[in-house]
Amino acid sequence: MRKTIVSVSFLLLTAAIFFSACVNEDSIKYQRYYSDGLDVYKIHCQNCHMDDGKGLAGLIPPLTDTTFLKLNRKMLASYIVYGLEDTIKIHCIEYEGKMPAEKHLASIDLAKLLTYVTNSFGNKQGIFDVKEVEKNLNDYIKANN
Amino acid sequence: MKISSIFILSISSLFILACNSEPRKLPILGSREPVEKTVDGKTVVDTIYQTIPAFSFMNQDSAIINNDSLKNSIYVADFFFTSCPSICPIMSKNLLTVYEKYKGNPEVRFLSHTIDPKYDTIPVLKKYADKLGVKGTQWSFLLGSKDSVYLLAKNGYMSYSKENDSIPGGYEHSGYFLLVDKDKRIRGAYDGTDKDQVAQMSKDMDVLLSEYHPK
Repeated sequence: MRKTIVSVSFLLLTAAIFFSACVNEDSIKYQRYYSDGLDVYKIHCQNCHMDDGKGLAGLIPPLTDTTFLKLNRKMLASYIVYGLEDTIKIHCIEYEGKMPAEKHLASIDLAKLLTYVTNSFGNKQGIFDVKEVEKNLNDYIKANN
Repeated sequence: MKISSIFILSISSLFILACNSEPRKLPILGSREPVEKTVDGKTVVDTIYQTIPAFSFMNQDSAIINNDSLKNSIYVADFFFTSCPSICPIMSKNLLTVYEKYKGNPEVRFLSHTIDPKYDTIPVLKKYADKLGVKGTQWSFLLGSKDSVYLLAKNGYMSYSKENDSIPGGYEHSGYFLLVDKDKRIRGAYDGTDKDQVAQMSKDMDVLLSEYHPK
């Protein structure tokens, strides 16, 4: 009796470990993107949007408007690569400053950066994959040609 | 015996230090020159400190700001331009916290000199101030000719600013806040991008103000 309990629990434990390893592959990728994304953010974004994502008064918009980031998810990559000149409304305040283009960023860096931004400052959108970034950028180019 | 004597020594030195605690004074920065003067028939040596050269610039409300308008206040000066994508936003954010602390205090002023007069016209500076939430002339965003501002940065504030196409924004400048007293002498220089140094500046401004209000 005791032997079976021991062996069953051992089997269950092993199965649980295997199972969690499979599940965790995605979350490991997410965590890697998120922490690498923080480094990209520090170099290319933090000067203006600040370490807490709150921006600067009425001059630089915060990244805390979860609705705006959700509604414009498909456009985010192009905002970064090509800059943004349109007036945008964030938290009911109009921002008309120009966001400079960051043309040199690779898709993988954009994916990591966007994973960080869309899961920080109150946002919770999950991973931003490289394929999604590339598709968004291609769609943007098509729409603007 | 030995230990107890060390103990007594350290305690007494503590007492002596405590008695000597004069209010902290900020150093006077920059070059200085000894000058011999004749006072009452005797020759005495006086020191002439470096001061900010006279200037006259227009602020965001088209008001003239010059030495005369600053004679009753200490002030913080920095160099920036409104389209700056590098260190200016964080400097503005840090200076904003100090501005909030001294808001309405006529003895404290803030001067931000634009180093891009071609783009930063009065309306542009006005909009920048408005969006930052700055009202009145306590914090003035100043427009002057490029040469005069660059010379003032170099000779007056021992700071630097120049055009450089290879960096984002096209201009480079130091990120220092310079604290200047009522006699136009530099009393402190702080990295405007560093929160801790800006907090130190805020404390030092209280120390400097207390020089004008002896107990």
